[in-house]
This record gives sequence, C-alpha cells and structure tokens, in this order.
Amino acid sequence: MKLGWLALFFWFALAQAEDVLYLYNWNNYIGEETLARFEARCRCRVKQDYYSDNEEMLAKLEAGAEGYDIIVPTGNAVESLIRRGALRPIDKSRLPHFENVKREFRDLWFDPGNRYSVPYATSITLLGYNIEKMRELNLPTDTWALIFEPKYLAKIKGKVTVLNSQRELMAAAMKYLGHSVHTTDIAAWEAAKRLILAAKPYWATFSNSTYIKDLAIGNIWVAHGYSNDMFRARADAQAAGRPFTIGFSTPKEGAVLAVDSFVLHKSGRRPDLAHRFIDFMLEGENAADVSNVIGAGNTNAAAMPYIKPEIAREPAIFPPPEILGRLEMLRDFDPKMRRTLARMWTEIKVR
Amino acid sequence: MKPWLWAATLLVYAFLYVPLAIVALFSFNDSLLNAQWVGFTLDWYRKLFADEAMLTAAANSLFIALLSSSIATVLGAMAGIAMHRWRTRWLPLLVITPVAMPEILLGVSLLLFFRQVLDLTLGFFSILIAHITFSIGFVAIVVRARLAGMDESLFEAARDLGATPWQTFRHITLPLILPALTAGFLMSFTLSIDDFVITFFVAGVGVTTLPLQIYSMIKVAVSPEVNAVSTLLMALTATLIFFATRLAPELLKGQR
Amino acid sequence: MTKAERAMRWFVTLPPAAFLLVFFLAPALIVVVASFREPGEFGGLAPFTQPTVEAYAFLLGDLVYAEIFARSFFVATLTTLICLALAYPLAWLIAQSPKKRRDLLVLLVILPFASNFLVRIYAWIILLGPLNLLYTPIAVVLGMVYVHLPFMILPLYANLEKHDAALLEAAQDLGASAWTRFWRVTFPLSLPGIFSGSALVFIPVLGMFAVPELLGGTGDILIGNLIKEQFLDNRDWPLGSALSILLTVLVLALAGVAAWAARRGIKGAEALT
Repeated sequence: MKLGWLALFFWFALAQAEDVLYLYNWNNYIGEETLARFEARCRCRVKQDYYSDNEEMLAKLEAGAEGYDIIVPTGNAVESLIRRGALRPIDKSRLPHFENVKREFRDLWFDPGNRYSVPYATSITLLGYNIEKMRELNLPTDTWALIFEPKYLAKIKGKVTVLNSQRELMAAAMKYLGHSVHTTDIAAWEAAKRLILAAKPYWATFSNSTYIKDLAIGNIWVAHGYSNDMFRARADAQAAGRPFTIGFSTPKEGAVLAVDSFVLHKSGRRPDLAHRFIDFMLEGENAADVSNVIGAGNTNAAAMPYIKPEIAREPAIFPPPEILGRLEMLRDFDPKMRRTLARMWTEIKVR
Repeated sequence: MKPWLWAATLLVYAFLYVPLAIVALFSFNDSLLNAQWVGFTLDWYRKLFADEAMLTAAANSLFIALLSSSIATVLGAMAGIAMHRWRTRWLPLLVITPVAMPEILLGVSLLLFFRQVLDLTLGFFSILIAHITFSIGFVAIVVRARLAGMDESLFEAARDLGATPWQTFRHITLPLILPALTAGFLMSFTLSIDDFVITFFVAGVGVTTLPLQIYSMIKVAVSPEVNAVSTLLMALTATLIFFATRLAPELLKGQR
Repeated sequence: MTKAERAMRWFVTLPPAAFLLVFFLAPALIVVVASFREPGEFGGLAPFTQPTVEAYAFLLGDLVYAEIFARSFFVATLTTLICLALAYPLAWLIAQSPKKRRDLLVLLVILPFASNFLVRIYAWIILLGPLNLLYTPIAVVLGMVYVHLPFMILPLYANLEKHDAALLEAAQDLGASAWTRFWRVTFPLSLPGIFSGSALVFIPVLGMFAVPELLGGTGDILIGNLIKEQFLDNRDWPLGSALSILLTVLVLALAGVAAWAARRGIKGAEALT
C-alpha cells in the first residue's frame, strides 16, 4: 500500500517535471504572448534562463552547465557548438514549417544543410545617431567615416560611443578600410588598429549597453551598436517625448550581420517538446513577433505579412539585396590568431 | 562629540545615500528613460508585482543571502579564531586566497569542479556553496583583526577558574567578537545579494537570482521596475536586519 | 598543549579548513593546471598533450601587461586610501555612540548595498552625466570607492568598538591633548582594523571589471577587465587563468609582506596572519 502511494507520488512528480521546456535565451527575445500561446498548445511550461552575450553562454556550457533544451546562439557560436559536439541533430521531418525559412538564410556556412540549426532572427551592427544633430552639423550618416575620420569626429568629440568588443569594433574598422573581416592578413588588422587608435581620443567610451539610454536621453549623438538596440533607443526617445529622433543605418562600406538560430543542446531532456517549439516558432504569425517587439530582422518568409509595415520597410532591419551582399558574418579564428588580436585590443585599450 | 566628526560622518552618509535616493525616487517616476523627473506613478510597482520571474528571483536572492551569510559567519569566525589562537601558518593562506582570486576565475573553477568532478546538478546548492566560499575570508579577516592585540589574560583567567573551553568561548570570546560577527555577517550578506559573476556560472536551469535577472535585462535597457524591486529589497532588508539586531543581543542575554 | 586544547583546536579549525579545501582549493587547482594548457580550437581547452608555459611567456614578455598591472595597483591604492579617509571618522563615531544608536548607524551603512549593484551604478551614471565626469578616470575611482566603502567601515568599526574608554580617560587625566590621545592611543590600537579593512578593499578592487566598464572612458582598462575579456570575449582560458594566477600570487606576496612585518613587531599587521 505504502509503496503504491510512493509510486503514485513519483509518477506525479515526474509528470510534473516532464512537461517543462528549458530555454537558454537572450532576454526579451520571444514575445510573452507567443510563449503563452505555445504553453497553451503543448500543455507544458517554458522556463527561460538568459544570457546577454554569446561568449557568456559558451563559457558556461563549456564548463559543463547542462539541462537546456534549446539555445539561441549567433552563427559563429553555432559553429563552435557543432564542432565541439554539443548539439543534437534536428529532425526536419518533425518541422513541417521549415519551408517558411527564407532561401537566403538556409544552408549558411556555419551549418550546411541545416543539420543542427534553424534560423530565427537577424541583426546588423551599424551606426545609430541623433538625426537633428547630424543635420545641424552636416555630417554623413551612411559611412563608418563618421566614427573613424577625425575631420568628422572633431565636431562630435565626446559624443560618440563604440562597442566594447574587439570583434565588432575591429570588424567595423576593417570594413571601412575595405577588407574582409575574415582575413588573416596581420598587416590589414594592424592598419585597423592604427585607424582605431587615431579615432579613439574623440570617443566618449566603449559601451555595450549604456548607449541605448545615452542615445535616447541625448547624452551622446552617435553610437556604434546593434540594430535592435537602435530600434529600442528610437522607441524610448519617442515614448519619452525627446525633442529629437534617433535614426540608424548600415554604412555603405558594409557591416557585420548576425543570424541567431535555434539549436538543440545535447543535454536537453525533451527533444520532442523542443522540436514542437521550433516548429511552432516557424509559423509566420509567431515568427513575426521578434520583429514587431524588438525590431529584429526576420528569417521567416511567412512572417512578413504579420510584420508592421513601418518595420518591414526599414532597410537597416530588412536590408535590400544590394546591402545584404555587403554584410559579413563573424567567424572564429584559430587560437593563435585570437591571441594576436587580443593583444592588439589590449594595446587599443591601454594607449 | 566633536562637531567636525559629525560633519564628516554626515558627509559620508550623504555620499552613500545620494545615489540611493535617485534609485528610490525614480522607482516612482513616470518615465521609462529615467533621466529626469516626469511625474509620480506606481506603475513600476504594479508591473513588478505582476512579474513572477522577478519576484521569484528576489526571493531566491534574499533566501540565499541570509543562509549563505549565516553559514559563512560561523565558518569564518572559526577560521578567524583558529588563526588568532594557534597561529596556524597555512590557514591564513587558505583564507585570503579566495578573497584575492578574481571572481571570474572562481566562478569558472567552481563550475568545472561541480560538473566535472562532483557531477552535481547545478541549482540552489551550487549557488549556496559558491557564496559561502567567497564570504568566509571576509568574515575570518575581520574576526582575526578584532582579536588581534586582545588581552590574553582574560582567557587565562577563565581557564584558571576552571572554565571549560565551551564556557570560555560562550562567556568571553563570543561577546568579544560579536561586533566582528555583525560586521562579517553584513559584509557576507551584501556580497551574496549582489553577486553576479560567480552566480552566473554556478546557477542551474530554472534557478535564478535577482542580479542574474537584472543583468540579463541590460540588453533590453534597464526599466524602472528594477528600481522598484531594489527599493523594496532595501526596505525588506532594513526590516529584517533591524529586528535581527534588536533580537540577537536579547537572545544572547537570555541564555546567560 | 593539553588533550582538551588539542581537541578544541581540531574542532575549530577543521570545519572552515575542510570547506575551503574542498570548495576552494580543489577547484582552484583545476584552473591552475588550465593556465599551463593550450586554448582549444573553439574555446575551452585543447586536448592535453604536455604542459606549456606559453601563456605566462606571452604575458611576461610584453610590457603592455605590466603597465596594466601597475595601473590597477595604483587605482587600488588610491581607492583604499580614500576609503580609509572616509571610513575612519564614521567608524569612530559609530564605535563611540551609545549601544542602541550604534546598531542603527551600522545598519545605515550597509543598507544601500542591499539594493542592486547595477542599479546603484546606473544612479551614478545619472548623477555624473551632468557634471561632465562620466567616462573619466575620476568616475572610475569614485565608483570603486562607493562600491567598496562598507568593506572598510565595518572592519574598522569592529576594531574601534573594543577600545577601552578608560585608557583614553587616563590619557586625558595625564593632560594629553585630543590630538595626542588620538595618535598615541586610538590610532595604534586601530591598526589591525586598518590593515584588515585595507585588505578587503584593496584586493577586490584589483579584480573588479564592472565599474571601469560602465563608468570609465576609452582608456580605463584594469586587470579585472583584461581577465574578463579572456574568458568572456576571447575564449582564451589559459591566458585568463595565467593572468588571474599572476594577480593572486602578487596579492599573496603582499600579504606575505604583512606577515613579515608582523613578525618584525609592526603593530596591526598580524591582522592578516
């Protein structure tokens, strides 16, 4: 009798525990209502833990953290996870809506054949600015020269922030100098370092997050950062009734494109739920949320009709083909090159 | 009391409280941006009380902070007393090194150890252990400093009068180090409730603390809801500590 | 040592020592070993073949890293001195207050720190912006002082609280001026508090990266930032471990100096031994 109760108790405990899907995700990357719709459909709970940087997530997984069913890494992090054998292959027969993924985002370099990843959202690393100030000072906003050329910077000294990221900032300098961000030509990277060092005295600081607020308040006029963040800064400034508008555009020399994808971690306990979740997120209406809520680019063709027209028209979020062709995704270098670049970055910070 | 001493003290308190006043004030500000005062609202508190994840995180943080700092205070006090009493050469090294170790390294090493050596499932206990680990040193050093230069004759007198080691501890050592215990406990408490880096590494799926919850919001810009939860947490801590400091000495007296 | 005394020693020493041996020393050894390995192709560590001192050679063979160490030690020293100057009068006043008010005053010191770190730093961003101090080295030192001040106040208070009022009265009866009483009686007796408080401020400042990152300008990089970048930007664990170990060894060397000073009879230094 006692044993029976015990068995029943465990059955309940298991039944309770079984229907939870664990997501390791960026904060605010999936709309609350979207999640509620999925929870209603699968009769399960979705629990999320958050990271604010791919490298944080990789470091944590590398040291052995586990239990996550789904992660949402950027391209180079997907590659890194695949190469380290940390992912579970995706069973596309369980994803009837996979066909919704736009052609240009299938079969990307980091996962040929989409064996492990399903693209979800995109962002571009670009320039955000105070439109009125730029007009007043007669500054160009479609070129990296704005944050690298002293002749422009002189007019906005101390009103510029750039990303506190070796990869992103040096990539911007490389694009401005006309190099690919994948080159291993040390001389080209050295030139990028010199360009940055010459521009650095004009910058206020390196910032990865505070620039959203600083732009919206008006403390700074130009920021190097992610398109989602600029979208946010623009909305915040508007909501607070600031006497200016925030604009953002992709420099004509090209920029860095980030494609974030759903992947299944090997340690996940519910691959069945995970597949259902990914397929659910591939439905146009659900996929559209990420664009409507945070201004991310969308990799889903069926989502387009559900996206607010003013967002769908924004070229810095949905780049037209001629700009898309000039965007590059970051790739990881080998350890030796990483150390060399880290050394350059340290020098940039110290000088 | 010298007036200049009061003046200096008030200045330092002002320094401590000015940013805090801003935090509290802006939790009632009707503006997402929080750069200037717009108007009074309770919206952020309303939003907070509807935000289950944030409230759970705050409760977790408070619970872990209270538990870890209590344990760390006991272990740290033991270490401090041992360092003073027996001058064990290797103990100070063991106590100071965790304080000296950069937190990222401590976080990564604990995670590697929990997962790859102990094969422990990350969660509540891994966070608790990590917090105790980085707090012990702080308590031990303060207790050791309190005991430094203390009059040894007291202890000897007690022993000569036939007091057991426990009685000596209970009636002489403990009252003597009580301020150091308070200081150590409070330091451990703030260390724990504020820790992001180490907790980030050792937290498991589904268990989150307030700093983790707040830091993950950096990318979506920190909203005044965070000010609201901070203000509440301060009020709650004030109440807890206030009653604790009121009760603890009474309890000690009662046992005597 | 009597048998009871020996038992007592084990009873007191063992629990904290065992805890730290298991949960600090054992994990720390893993990363010490990591610093002698090579970074993996895609992060983490490469499969182990043979130990290498490459990470250390890379750091020691380059003056840029020495410069960052020197700069960090400077900032830590400055922060410690400012904290000491701010904390001493306050701790003294608390220690001399009546018992009832004392608890309240201590509580007031710690209360701001029950709010969230990030929220406090954002409050400073709001305060410093209009003063044109944001993103400057001054903002970094100010932030460091703010964050670490209780770790100076509390140890000092814990020390000053025990001072014997009778001693000061005796000095007064003997005609010593207030200044002399302070320098001859209070200050020497408070040295252990000063040493422990300084250690608890100086050491954590060295590893702190959030304050320079959020309040500092383009040139404010400290050793903590460098270590963070190796783990969370650059995926170079051996380099990050090696940096951390160099830092830890330097700090322990300083503690060793304190122990040596204590043996030479320098008052207060024994607080760290």
